[in-house]
Amino acid sequence: MNRLLPTFTILLCLLTGGKAQALSYIETPSLAADVAAGKLPPVEQRIPSDPAIETGRPGQPGGELHVLISSARETRLLAIIGYARLMAYTPSYDLVPDMLESVDQKDERVFTLHLRPGHRWSDGEPFTAEDFRYWWDDVANNQQLAPTGPPVALLREGEKPKVEILDPLTVRYSWSQPMPTFLALLASPTPITIYRPAHYLKQFHVKYADKDKLAALVAAGHARNWAQLHNRMDNPIRNDNPDLPTLDPWVLKTAPPSERFVFERNPYYYRVDREGRQLPYIDRINAAVADSKIIPVKVGAGEVDLQSRYLRFDNYTFLKAGEARNSYRVRLWKTGYGSQLTLYPNLNVTDPVWRTLLRDVRFRRALSLAIDRHEINNVIYYGLALEGQNTMLPGSPLYDEADRKAWAQYDPAQAGKLLDEIGLTKRNGEGIRLLPDGRPLQIVVETAGTVAEESDVLELIRDTWREVGIKLFSKPLQIELMHNRIFSGETMMSIDRGLENGLANAEMSPAALAPTLQNDWQWPRWGQYYETHGMSGEAPDMPMATELMQLGHQWMNATDFEARRSLWRRMLAIHADRVLTIGLCAEVPQPVVVSDRLRNVPEQGIYNFDPGAFFGVYKPDRFWFVPEVPADQPS
Amino acid sequence: MFGYIVHRLLVMIPTLLAISLIVFIIIQLPPGDYLSTYMAELQAQGEAVDPQKLAYLREIYGLDRPAWQQYLYWVWGLLHGDMGYSFAYNLPVTQVVGDRLMLTFIVSFSTIMFTWIVAFPIGIYSATHQYSWSDYGLTFLGFVGLATPNFLLALVMLYFANTWFGISIGGLMDDRFIGTPWSLAKLGSVLAHLWIPVIVIGLSGTAGMIRRLRANLLDELQKQYVVTARAKGLSPFRTLMKYPLRMSLNPFISDIGTLLPHVISGSAIVSVVLSLPTTGPMLLDALRSQDMYLAGSFLMFLALLTVIGVFLSDLALAALDPRIRLGAGSVK
Repeated sequence: MNRLLPTFTILLCLLTGGKAQALSYIETPSLAADVAAGKLPPVEQRIPSDPAIETGRPGQPGGELHVLISSARETRLLAIIGYARLMAYTPSYDLVPDMLESVDQKDERVFTLHLRPGHRWSDGEPFTAEDFRYWWDDVANNQQLAPTGPPVALLREGEKPKVEILDPLTVRYSWSQPMPTFLALLASPTPITIYRPAHYLKQFHVKYADKDKLAALVAAGHARNWAQLHNRMDNPIRNDNPDLPTLDPWVLKTAPPSERFVFERNPYYYRVDREGRQLPYIDRINAAVADSKIIPVKVGAGEVDLQSRYLRFDNYTFLKAGEARNSYRVRLWKTGYGSQLTLYPNLNVTDPVWRTLLRDVRFRRALSLAIDRHEINNVIYYGLALEGQNTMLPGSPLYDEADRKAWAQYDPAQAGKLLDEIGLTKRNGEGIRLLPDGRPLQIVVETAGTVAEESDVLELIRDTWREVGIKLFSKPLQIELMHNRIFSGETMMSIDRGLENGLANAEMSPAALAPTLQNDWQWPRWGQYYETHGMSGEAPDMPMATELMQLGHQWMNATDFEARRSLWRRMLAIHADRVLTIGLCAEVPQPVVVSDRLRNVPEQGIYNFDPGAFFGVYKPDRFWFVPEVPADQPS
Repeated sequence: MFGYIVHRLLVMIPTLLAISLIVFIIIQLPPGDYLSTYMAELQAQGEAVDPQKLAYLREIYGLDRPAWQQYLYWVWGLLHGDMGYSFAYNLPVTQVVGDRLMLTFIVSFSTIMFTWIVAFPIGIYSATHQYSWSDYGLTFLGFVGLATPNFLLALVMLYFANTWFGISIGGLMDDRFIGTPWSLAKLGSVLAHLWIPVIVIGLSGTAGMIRRLRANLLDELQKQYVVTARAKGLSPFRTLMKYPLRMSLNPFISDIGTLLPHVISGSAIVSVVLSLPTTGPMLLDALRSQDMYLAGSFLMFLALLTVIGVFLSDLALAALDPRIRLGAGSVK
């Protein structure tokens, strides 16, 4: 965090410098009529007196952006890519104040958040510290609205933060111990929204609302009680209530259910460009619902202006073929997963023979050595992916090439030697090695079976494993069933995406590397043990796991950058050396289709969920349309 | 006759109750519930789910209660016309289904019309010109229609409709008309999109109907009353229309029973492929995500339509064909 302080100072200087020049604001053409009619106040009164200033090249306002979503539930995507957050990541993953004017922090324990004066909700009401107080006192700590209390991520070993409202524009969160993850939580694509539009939600809250009116609302909404109604109305992440005021660049205007959702520009948005035009440039977003399987076809027919979701790398050639005819361009962005697909040996499998074997590091190394990643890369990804283990990517400051290469070269001879060393020397008639209890060495890899890619990759692994005497079966399952089997320890191995964030820096939490989540499929029962505070699951009983837990714990308490960096490095090194997951190929390109008229979308980008929020870090509020299609000139 | 109708109506009640029980059991059979689906979905998007929060939601949705209680709660609601609440859409089921019913009716009726308009002339023609080259040719086309998987046909037609005619892919209208009130332009857009699903969904039905009509008609054409009618000098066309064709219509009347639910549910798979805003894909989605009240109420609605449809077609048959009489079997 110390490393970030200079950034904060520079930013503050920039902001104050900008103010000194006294930017004169330009009214948005599409809102001019409403302003003239007196329905909206003029632009100077709609933006904060100290707005966030976009320093990039200015564009032109106007236009309607067409995108496709696969169901009405995906209106949530607009809240993700809109990416208006208290704190936000820049494209280089530095954490900076965004909606906040600034943040002061002391020892990473005390965080003082300063709001922008004059910042307003999309309905024109002021956004103040009262909105923070309402969420903390009346939502997060209300027994009926949140029976489990404030989100666990805000607790430091069970300790709640102290929340103080210092003045209408200042809020302070403090803990007795360091809480280095707090600011990153606010910048997440699905953040812990620590504020709520109090003026709107109070009508649903038993503490503030008129009793009879509330009872009528509850009855009209078919809700069981006021709490259920309040929770339904108040879901900024789900983003399905057109009446809920928001701070996002575009505001939902269509009530679900519908086959098309329209989002209109937020006239009270807090960002302006350097010439004084209020953002976002694009007036309207039109999200049509189509089945996910038909989306690539529709995109290829030129029905969208910007699309990445539901486009897969294997659609690339088809999309490319439609480029000229439908005036769009396909860009290939890099993905940020530690590995596109990863094998997860289940260390908590219930079968005792298999458990002993899967916990033997020599066995996991042998499995990894017996995979020809180069072949997978060339056959499935046209050689465009990065081969290696499930670890950081070269774009991360924590990257070490040795981690990615560890036990990742194709070496069947050494794999065979390791297997012999373990004592798996007997073979059956087919040449398959036998387990100590006489069963053949058959590994069943369970997949969620939704994409062909998984079974194609497993098919290639089957061939090379067969050579060292291991038989592989793949078993497609429904995802819910697969989860239950993994959690109960019936699954011996599964295949799924690798690390969510392969681009982490030392300031981000390394929790994903320690057994803290039930959804880490290499150690579901240890993760469950941590998540439920020991109520269910199993305590980690391998020294490697307890060491990872301790390192993660030390990271939370570490205060200087170098200590964090070395803790991260040690955890990554353990993962690489012990081959806890078997990574295959990473940086598989993600096709992004961009209309020839749309500008400011980066040619080369990183497509990642957290951090990144897909397009979010590139700030879609600054994407703009040129009125005419220029001849053969991409932006 | 009146006693018969009352009897049939009363029998419907236990039938529907039994169906509701079966429907509920089948929906509950897959492991997990809506929340496990929801959790998987969140996870697929890279979000962590707090197990405590999940337990809380389970309680809010009433999913923690024993199955028989959930069943009674649901049936009790149905009896009062309350179709329940959809978890996935966060709305009452009636509102979720809403607009889709209308479009489903349009697609289904157009399909039935298409089927009949194409199948009747062809069926009659191939029966009266049995074993001629034209009969073989039409029969061949019919079998091709019957044998082509219609989802494949849908994909192929989508592609060519877009590249040749510039019709937007999937859906029933251009995107700009969605959610707008009905107008001539909107109707035009719907008609431009309608022909693909109508042909795709209707093709196998058409082929089947041609075969049935031909077989029925061939049976009748051999009979003596046809020979008599011809001998008396009735024109061939009037002979055909007045006697054998009417006799061969019985199977179509009894088809009405299954037609009604088909009109509502549409052809789910084709609708999914074509991304039609009809009820079929919604039902499929509800079943997959275990949105149990949406799926359950929908299936009950279909069951009700089937029961009523069968009843109506029985009555219509009795009215149309004098040979079909109540209790005739017992007299014999």
